Amino acid sequence: MTTAALHPGFRPAKYLAVARTALRQALAERAAIVGRMAFYFVILLIFSQLWYVVGEMGALGELGATEFLWYLALTEWVMLSLTPVHLDIEADVRSGEIAYRLSRPISYLGGRLAEAAGDCALRAVTLGIWGFAMAYLLAGSLPKDPSGLLLALPLGVLALWLGLVSMAAIGVTAFWLQDCSPVYLVWQKAAFILGGLMLPLEIYPDWLRQVADWTPFSAFMYGVGRMSFGFDPVLAGEVALRLVGWSLLTTLLLVWMYRRALRGLEVNGG
Amino acid sequence: MRAILNFAAALFVTNLRATLALRGAFWFAAVMMLLNNLLYFSIWWIFFDRFDEIRGWRFGDMAALFGVVAAGFGCAVVFAGGVRDLGRYIIDGELDGFLTQPKPPLLHALGSQSRASGWGDIASGLFLIGISGVVRPTTAPLVLVAVASSAAVFTATGVILHSSAFWLGRTDSLARQFWEFQIAFSSYPRVIFGGVLKVLLFTVIPAGFIGFLPAELLRDFTWLGLAAVLGGASAYVLLAFAVFGRGLRRYESGNRVGLRA
Amino acid sequence: MSHAIEVRGLRKTYRVRERREGFGGAVRDLFRAPKRELVAVDDLSFAIAPGERVAFVGPNGAGKSTTIKILSGILHPSAGDAAVLGLCPWRDARQIAFRIGTVFGQRSQLWIHLPAADSFDLLARIYEIDPATYQRRRGEFVEAFGLGPLLKQPVRQLSLGQRMRCELVASLLHAPEILFLDEPTIGLDVTAKAVIRDLIREQSRREGRTLLFTSHDTGDMESVCDRVIVIHRGRILLDRPVAELRRSYIGRKRITLHSVAESVDLKLPGVEVIERRPHCTEVDVDLKQSSVERVVQEVLRLTRINDLAIEDPPMDQIVQAIYADAESTPAPEALAP
Repeated sequence: MTTAALHPGFRPAKYLAVARTALRQALAERAAIVGRMAFYFVILLIFSQLWYVVGEMGALGELGATEFLWYLALTEWVMLSLTPVHLDIEADVRSGEIAYRLSRPISYLGGRLAEAAGDCALRAVTLGIWGFAMAYLLAGSLPKDPSGLLLALPLGVLALWLGLVSMAAIGVTAFWLQDCSPVYLVWQKAAFILGGLMLPLEIYPDWLRQVADWTPFSAFMYGVGRMSFGFDPVLAGEVALRLVGWSLLTTLLLVWMYRRALRGLEVNGG
Repeated sequence: MRAILNFAAALFVTNLRATLALRGAFWFAAVMMLLNNLLYFSIWWIFFDRFDEIRGWRFGDMAALFGVVAAGFGCAVVFAGGVRDLGRYIIDGELDGFLTQPKPPLLHALGSQSRASGWGDIASGLFLIGISGVVRPTTAPLVLVAVASSAAVFTATGVILHSSAFWLGRTDSLARQFWEFQIAFSSYPRVIFGGVLKVLLFTVIPAGFIGFLPAELLRDFTWLGLAAVLGGASAYVLLAFAVFGRGLRRYESGNRVGLRA
Repeated sequence: MSHAIEVRGLRKTYRVRERREGFGGAVRDLFRAPKRELVAVDDLSFAIAPGERVAFVGPNGAGKSTTIKILSGILHPSAGDAAVLGLCPWRDARQIAFRIGTVFGQRSQLWIHLPAADSFDLLARIYEIDPATYQRRRGEFVEAFGLGPLLKQPVRQLSLGQRMRCELVASLLHAPEILFLDEPTIGLDVTAKAVIRDLIREQSRREGRTLLFTSHDTGDMESVCDRVIVIHRGRILLDRPVAELRRSYIGRKRITLHSVAESVDLKLPGVEVIERRPHCTEVDVDLKQSSVERVVQEVLRLTRINDLAIEDPPMDQIVQAIYADAESTPAPEALAP
């Protein structure tokens, strides 16, 4: 069987239904929602203290501790909203469940991505509201130019899509590695550092910042977080373009890897 | 007491052999964790490259702090790896086996597992302590004290959090999450926390005893500091034993869950 | 000390939280969940003499596991008294632990990634067995249980039956005076079951060990034990020698026939058809009225057969029969001798 990533008769309604079901399922896992909110709060709390102290030293330039905290609220919002779809794919590969799923009249990869998107949507909404409230509480105010936050919303959605596709590609490595968590850890740390999860890239040495700009990560985290520094539609447009571009590239990579993986599966007597 | 130490040693050796039985997996997990920690720590290198110091804290202080926390956590999951699953043991009745044997059940449960990735934590921790520049040859033995007491407090708070399962039922995933919060709280400069938060960090969330105090002991040794580190660790360990012992009287051996079905 | 185990008025209750429906209910449960008391063991009393082999029988949730767990020091009872080897199991758990052994069919005391020999070595340290005694006993068991070739293999590579043999050795190394077994044959195939039963019986006979045994399997009970205690809803329904139980309740067999003829019509006293499918007939035989031999002869007279299975009636049925009797008697305790 040579299943394309998406079946020829692609029917969006089917995938939408999958996403809706996943969302409802995620709604039932209340402890997980509360746990994520608590973690989000802890991180914001720690950094509100850190930036307050650094800001006091006058080391942040024209921007204040408030903007830096809102920056973190945005990047963490993206990071924590991502559904770990790679773990689902890995589990399917390891348990052999994938063989059953391949025989269903829905693309395996498309179905898994739709499920992840549904779960991710719930996370993004709950954490978005929570993060807004907590950042406001801890920073004491909105950023100087809060209209930038509006631009962060659509950029966040694009970033989440890039994240899900990337993580799906990481999950597909399980076909060769069985355990994909080492690959994930490296990707995650790259996102932390090159994406500027905690520290805006303005703080980085120039050479490292240039390196970061050549990777998908600077648009993925920094591009979204940067909106807390002010309303800049030109920059937002550029970030959006880069996110779409990287998403396309990653999707191509994902489909290519997945097809190769399936071919390997047939050889193994699938 | 000697019988207990004997037992602990035998348990650890058995455990180590079980971890090493899957040799490839062992090395892979340990090396990946080492890389992971060092990559993560590089954020602080970027930070101090830009800001130089915050309220007297420099890169070396941060490396020593991060190193103590990483090595302490590593020791906890290597020597007392069962702590992460203690809540599940309580809920699913897996303490039964430890309870019918004539050795302290808590020690037995903690020592019944060991995580290979912990060795990577220990290695990265010692590396960071090494490059921090705060340790002199004369103070080197203090590294052992600092890491051991950090590990003891980590383990003790894990036991306390997971023991909540005796009273509240299935709390293991939340307990694990809150346990790992401590790492987050412990691995930031102490100087940024003030007021109520500071009090919390030395009580409810003992980040102070996991990271700040042991790391400071390495930098400026004082007898008072040593007393505080050892006293704090002992207090948490005693509290952990007391809470677990109390809970054990309410232990239901997985029956309550079965009855609900 | 006259009894190995003595139990008086033992009672154990669990408090179960009731969950309310829906999201609102869940939120309200966070603050005050209604609690209900569930009685697992209710005023249980019995005594077991040293060397006696006793089966503890009853349906799921009857309280058998709870009782065994109280007696082996795992659970604290809500009320009542018990003495195991003259000691109180929940106060002197550590002392008793040296003198009892446990085999829980669902739980393992072996380290899954290591050869069983490593687990035995650790257990020798845990039970403080002196090295010479340990070597001698281990050698005996390895021979008696046929573990020689298995001893160096990681436990995860052993079959369930092989693993259970290792489990048994693990709980016998320290020569316990009492062995508690909770469903030790669960999940095993017929041959492995027979081997485990033989080993348990032989070992306990040789060392005069007291056994307390729970099982769903009538065969376990018949081949290992000499006395049976049936409990239901936490109370003793019946306490008798196994031989006597066999006479009154196990006097039946279940015969499944796969015949060449599409259906077989047996007209014998005490034979009752339970299920009839094309070429397959299942009958229940009352041995007092017709022997197995008689039934088989009659079948062979009527048709040729492809296959034939003769089994004990399932435990559930025996217990049901006992309950039926108990229901018609006013006080269940009256059945106890």
